[in-house]
Amino acid sequence: MDSALIPKGVNRCPLSELILKLGPVVAVLLWGVVAMFMCWIKGLNQTNMNDSYGFALWIWADLTVIALGGGAFFTGLLRYIIGKDKLKNIINFAVLIGFICYSSALLILAIDIGQPLRGWFIFWHANVHSMLTEVAFCLTCYFMVLTIEYLPLILENRQIDRLPFFHNLSHNMHEIMAVFAATGAFLSFFHQGSLGGVAGVLFGRPFAFREGIFIWPWTFFLFTWSAAACGPCFTIMLLKITERITRKKLVKDDVVDLLAKIAGWMLTTYIIAKIIDTWYWAMVTAPSLGFELTDFYSNNPFYGMWILILEIVVCGIIPSIILISKKGRSNPVSFMTAVVLAVLGACVNRWAMVLQVMAAPVLTFEGWPMYYPSWQEVATTLLPVAYGIILVALSYRYLPVFPQEVELNPVESEDQGGKAKKAALSGAEVSPARA
Amino acid sequence: MKMDRRSFLSFVIGGAAGTALSPLPWKVTDDLAIWSQNWSWTPVPEDGEVGYVNTTCSLCPGGCGITVRKVGDRAVKIEGMKGHPVNDGGICILGLAGLQFLYGPSRIASPMRRTGERGENKWQKISWEEAISEVSKKLADLRSKNQSHALACISGYDGGTVPRLFERFLTVYGSANFVRTPAVRDSYELGLYLMQGTQANAGFDVENADYILSFGCGIIEGWGSPVRMFKANSHWKETGVKVTQVEPRLSNTAAKSDQWIPIKPGTEVVLALGLARVIVDESLYRREFIASHTAGFDRFVQNVLKDYPPEQVEKVTGIDKAVVVSLAKTFAAAKKPLAICGRGRGAGSESAGEIMAVYALNALVGNINQKGGVWAIPDPNYIRWPELEMDAQAAAGMQKPRVDGAGSKKYPHIRNLLHRLPEMINSTDASPVQALFVLEANPYYSVSDSAFVRKAWKKIPFIVSFSSFMDETAANADLILPNHVYLERHEDIPGAEGFIKPIIGLAKPVVNPQFDTLHAGDTIIRLAKMMGDPIAKAFPWEDYEACLEETFGDKWEALGEKGYWIDAGFEPSPWNKAFETASKKFEFASDDIGASFQNAVVKAEGEESAYPLLLIPYDSPRISAGRIGNPPFVIKTVADTVIKGKNGFIEVNPKTAIALGLSEGKSAVISTPRGSAKVRIHLFEGIMPGVVAMPTGLGHTAYDSFLAGKGVNINELIGPVEDGSSGLNAAWGIRAKLGKA
Amino acid sequence: MKNDQAKKYGMVIDLDKCTGCGACMVACMAENNIPFKEDESNKLDSITWMRVYQLTNGKPYPETDICYIPRPCMHCEGDHGHSPCVSVCPATATDYSQKTGIVSQIYTRCFGCRYCMAACPYHARYFNWWDPVWPNGMEKFLNPSVSPRMRGVVEKCSFCFHRHQLAMNKAFVEGRRELEENEYQTSCAQACPSGAIAFGDLNNPKHTVNQLAQPDNAHGGQPKNPEVFRLLEKLGTNPKVYYVSSREWVRRAGDNYLKNENPGKAH
Ligand SMILES: Nc1nc2c(c(=O)[nH]1)N[C@@H]1C(S)=C(S)[C@H](COP(=O)(O)OP(=O)(O)OC[C@H]3O[C@@H](n4cnc5c(=O)[nH]c(N)nc54)[C@H](O)[C@@H]3O)O[C@@H]1N2
Ligand SMILES: Nc1nc2c(c(=O)[nH]1)N[C@H]1C(S)=C(S)[C@@H](COP(=O)(O)OP(=O)(O)OC[C@H]3O[C@@H](n4cnc5c(=O)[nH]c(N)nc54)[C@H](O)[C@@H]3O)O[C@H]1N2
Ligand code: SF4
Ligand code: SF4
Ligand code: SF4
Ligand code: SF4
Ligand code: SF4
Ligand SMILES: [Mo]
Repeated sequence: MDSALIPKGVNRCPLSELILKLGPVVAVLLWGVVAMFMCWIKGLNQTNMNDSYGFALWIWADLTVIALGGGAFFTGLLRYIIGKDKLKNIINFAVLIGFICYSSALLILAIDIGQPLRGWFIFWHANVHSMLTEVAFCLTCYFMVLTIEYLPLILENRQIDRLPFFHNLSHNMHEIMAVFAATGAFLSFFHQGSLGGVAGVLFGRPFAFREGIFIWPWTFFLFTWSAAACGPCFTIMLLKITERITRKKLVKDDVVDLLAKIAGWMLTTYIIAKIIDTWYWAMVTAPSLGFELTDFYSNNPFYGMWILILEIVVCGIIPSIILISKKGRSNPVSFMTAVVLAVLGACVNRWAMVLQVMAAPVLTFEGWPMYYPSWQEVATTLLPVAYGIILVALSYRYLPVFPQEVELNPVESEDQGGKAKKAALSGAEVSPARA
Repeated sequence: MKMDRRSFLSFVIGGAAGTALSPLPWKVTDDLAIWSQNWSWTPVPEDGEVGYVNTTCSLCPGGCGITVRKVGDRAVKIEGMKGHPVNDGGICILGLAGLQFLYGPSRIASPMRRTGERGENKWQKISWEEAISEVSKKLADLRSKNQSHALACISGYDGGTVPRLFERFLTVYGSANFVRTPAVRDSYELGLYLMQGTQANAGFDVENADYILSFGCGIIEGWGSPVRMFKANSHWKETGVKVTQVEPRLSNTAAKSDQWIPIKPGTEVVLALGLARVIVDESLYRREFIASHTAGFDRFVQNVLKDYPPEQVEKVTGIDKAVVVSLAKTFAAAKKPLAICGRGRGAGSESAGEIMAVYALNALVGNINQKGGVWAIPDPNYIRWPELEMDAQAAAGMQKPRVDGAGSKKYPHIRNLLHRLPEMINSTDASPVQALFVLEANPYYSVSDSAFVRKAWKKIPFIVSFSSFMDETAANADLILPNHVYLERHEDIPGAEGFIKPIIGLAKPVVNPQFDTLHAGDTIIRLAKMMGDPIAKAFPWEDYEACLEETFGDKWEALGEKGYWIDAGFEPSPWNKAFETASKKFEFASDDIGASFQNAVVKAEGEESAYPLLLIPYDSPRISAGRIGNPPFVIKTVADTVIKGKNGFIEVNPKTAIALGLSEGKSAVISTPRGSAKVRIHLFEGIMPGVVAMPTGLGHTAYDSFLAGKGVNINELIGPVEDGSSGLNAAWGIRAKLGKA
Repeated sequence: MKNDQAKKYGMVIDLDKCTGCGACMVACMAENNIPFKEDESNKLDSITWMRVYQLTNGKPYPETDICYIPRPCMHCEGDHGHSPCVSVCPATATDYSQKTGIVSQIYTRCFGCRYCMAACPYHARYFNWWDPVWPNGMEKFLNPSVSPRMRGVVEKCSFCFHRHQLAMNKAFVEGRRELEENEYQTSCAQACPSGAIAFGDLNNPKHTVNQLAQPDNAHGGQPKNPEVFRLLEKLGTNPKVYYVSSREWVRRAGDNYLKNENPGKAH
């Protein structure tokens, strides 16, 4: 039915099957849309946020998707600036994921603010001292960059590409993509950093506060670093999920391995920095403000010391070790474990830097306030997930997201396809990495 | 024109670009932001000329002067009146929220007649003419059956022209049953009468005392005139005056005091007598006063104090005997020590024995009618209306004993015993009260043993409320004749609880009546006129305003200008003139008094075996508890360890809680011989193990959704306990048990 | 203009005198058009610009002690106006006035991101989770000098800034440029029946607040009076609300200390 739109040389399930499978996802999406409008029309009383939890699930989701969307800028950086040419085979996917993450972040922000109609005041009445201003500007600019990066892919759709204007546009955009990638990397460096800065500058909140250089607290650098480390892992994780769902190999192993190895080293260096940061904070910063490390962790189930161990040891040290070792990467189980743990690590870090910052009491006569999200918050947080699934599904179906798909999944005959697959898996015949 | 794909796309993209570049989206965005800043459903307060009106607050017996800020014809803020002798610019939490009474949602907008069952809250608006004539007919009917004495009036106050008009109405109609709600004043008045022979109010020169010994007074919970006491407390801090608080619970007052002495509840009188004994034993008393101006000192020492050696005091009160001795010495060593009593806010009476023991302490140190001591403040006695002409019916009715028994042979010195009313009604088939007026009081809520009160209530055929608000009493009345609220009416407000100068405040209408209400003074005058002579004749004034003006005569103008009248030069009578007892001396002991001391300890109701704990009420400055329900602003300040959602908390010592397997926040059931209620546990180290405490003033069923249904009305759990010698309700708590819900 | 020396309005609250009565909370509500809902028992969504907290010394009966501590906005100066909340606001909806030392809040500029709330360690900032609703008729007591806030914005104690404006207007009309101490008083300070709250210019040696707190402007406003302390002094928020207490445990409760740290050394 929609075969005219599907790229040449690939196999896609019947449209009816797609619609059927996406049905539940669309339902979640609609549920989220309902919740979103409830928040807009009735206000934020629809959430379980309160004056202690001014930032909650949404801001966590925001910080997390942006960190995980970091795969786009970092892969772009490696591909266009550092020149890891091999990564061109995954860059489209990384850009797609980035686009989804950033558009989601912006949407969540638009729901999260109490006066959405005045959201633009952040630009109009901008306060240059605010980390959030920096975030807003960079985020918006980078989202435009991602759009520009994603656009050529759309233009490569078979039908659109037939129009000479779009064909040329797409071609020319590809030519200058390095410029955008560079811009994107620069912007990303700043907004990932300033998102870290959001918490780090809170000198009234010893749990979040970090010293640093100039206006930048250490969290500024740690956030960028961790996004560069965990973002690619997220891209890889989603790739693996996509491959599992489509039951196809879409990117060659050596490409994935390269990205994973780099991510592994990023994660290793990051976690070393993070440990030093944590140590300095626990031994120097916090005590100077009258706090011992244990003051920041509660005996309630949500904010126990386990968070710190989970983040640093389980989701930091362990995946680092796996990802930098060839053996660890080559074992599919340990590899996937590492990738998932790295992603989880970013989630936990952002969780602590948002939720635990709110919960840890500063005044001596206050306790740990508890919070659990309302269904409206959950629904609006799942909304982008549903939207992401749909956008990945549609992009995969209609756009040449995976340049290696045709090669890895020849449609001619069962037999040949099998052979090609084997060959691809061995990686032997694949074009050598750029010198 | 044919639309191919290409031109369609060009159209869409071009259109989008064009729109984006036009001013339209920017204009719309801006307008939307501006709209969000001016939502029509967020009110914009009307501006106008600013003015100030001085008046008197009558929300509690404090008698504070207040200044109301007006903008145009709206009252926007209440502040304390600067220079006022009682509160000099200060104001309390309740007074500040006064405008929420004026404009509040629980106001009654017009006279109303009940249409459904009592308490069903079904009403029919009626005209004032109709309302008053309905009362008139009922009363005429009662009178024609020689039942005039079956009319009763429960009033929240009895000083001032309005309650006096009601009392006058009852008198000339033929009923002695004007019953005023209880307070510790009853006990103080009794003490003054018995020991000094004077009919007067007690005043406390707290500003000049140099040591305060308080037997559970909520000095900063609203005892006496609250703002004055707050100021006194600060004054003590500045001048180093020490305060000792004797109380089983760490109240705000206890926390602010210099020494908190926890005591087994109900045994305060034993401590007071024990202290007296130490003072006598060690000859620490003031000889010049004892020798020349007291009578019965030896009898007091022999008959009374022999029973209270420190060891015995320790056994009963739980206070170390060394502490007892040193406390006695500290008290006696101070130059101007002052002992006071009246638990919490003093909203309930105390036993005669207790009040007299405390008086005796003050007498031992000669601090009667002295600087820094207890003074007898005479009534300003400004209400001098023409003699009444009573017809035979009135005279006969007035001869009948009062329903509550006050003034009878059994209770000779007491003027009001509201707690006896339910019992008297429930103990006979036909209620001795056939018609009831309720003025500025909320007995349906505030009289203890609520279940019993409800039973008695059902037996009263005709109940008229004069309330401005839909309180529990109004909600369960047959007819409501709503009064103006205090900010809409003229009224004299005599006295300020515990104040040391005779003072009369004037309340002035700050704004026009907001609803179709009528001044209760006018209502009673109009009712009298409608009933014809001889009743009408007793009310010669055209209206209340005329009555008020005439009452004050040449003082009226000055009163209006200043907002209050004060006898600034007032000094208490010197010792040789102060006492009007038979001996013309301060009586430590007489036959009357001896009996009172013998019955000094009032036991809590209930058996210890079945009810191992003691439940005591506590007052909080953030919860008003009398006839006034907490307004929204004030209920907002109540901690979440007192009410959470609709749940009320009970304070329990962690030790007690552990023994019962209860922990913070858990639901539990508190049961007493009078009732039981669901509560949640709040662990509080500041309460004596074995004692549990609940706040007064919660558990309302009427008023508005801001107040109703929150917490428990402690009157559901506590019943009156009569003081054997005076008849006053001297309940300070009740035995209780606490179990898991 | 001469006499243009910067003011530093602040408070000194005497915790020995404060009884926890709550009058200051209601005085603030009544003055500043603070809305109220049916259930205000969830203190995490209950707007109280002034909130009176209860502290306990944590000791068992009968050694227990309690103290009340009223908490308005501290109008933190931080380091030269770099208060925790002001610098983070992306829309400049809250600002530090170098002239008065007051941290302002512009409700119509605020777009409700709540970053300032995350930044304030004193929980002095409140979000309007609901539309403010006054029961029919109650809007009559609203004060026209203070605009009611709409849903979705943050609000907080303003040191009753409108009173400053009104007093300044009056002074200008009378040809004056300076206010007397009693001309500008906050609603809570004026109402407190215990006289526990002093308000005035911390820079003016004639004002009570200066005499009580003896702020040392060379050292971030630290009090020289040993019985005076500020909440969370160590964070460097440099608050303009000072507290007096004669009780050592109360002063210690004002800040966080390591186990073996002696708070006396802080001054
Ligand atoms: N609107 C309003 N006004 C109030 C209040 C209120 O709740 N609402 N309450 C306020 C309160 S709580 C108080 S304490 C004050 C009370 O003001 P006060 O004037 O202090 O009133 P009491 O002492 O109760 O008045 C009784 C006195 O009058 C004398 N007395 C008793 N019966 C009679 C009588 O029949 N005739 C004459 N001439 N004298 C008599 C007694 O000697 C007694 O001392 O009023 C205040 N006024
Ligand atoms: N002997 C004798 N006895 C009398 C009287 C008399 O004249 N003579 N008068 C009667 C009179 S006038 C009255 S009114 C009754 C008293 O009895 P009620 O009228 O029932 O009232 P109270 O409980 O005394 O005080 C009124 C309200 O003011 C509130 N209040 C006072 N201070 C504060 C405060 O700081 N904060 C808050 N939130 N609320 C506060 C209290 O909570 C209380 O609910 O006693 C009566 N008893
Ligand atoms: S203390 Fe009583 S009289 Fe004074 S302001 Fe408060 S309620 Fe009114
Ligand atoms: S009004 Fe004064 S005494 Fe009452 S809580 Fe506030 S500061 Fe404390
Ligand atoms: S107390 Fe909070 S809101 Fe007030 S100035 Fe300080 S940080 Fe800002
Ligand atoms: S909530 Fe309002 S005042 Fe606070 S930071 Fe955001 S825009 Fe600024
Ligand atoms: S200074 Fe004004 S705004 Fe601040 S708490 Fe006091 S009354 Fe409220
Ligand atoms: Mo009274």
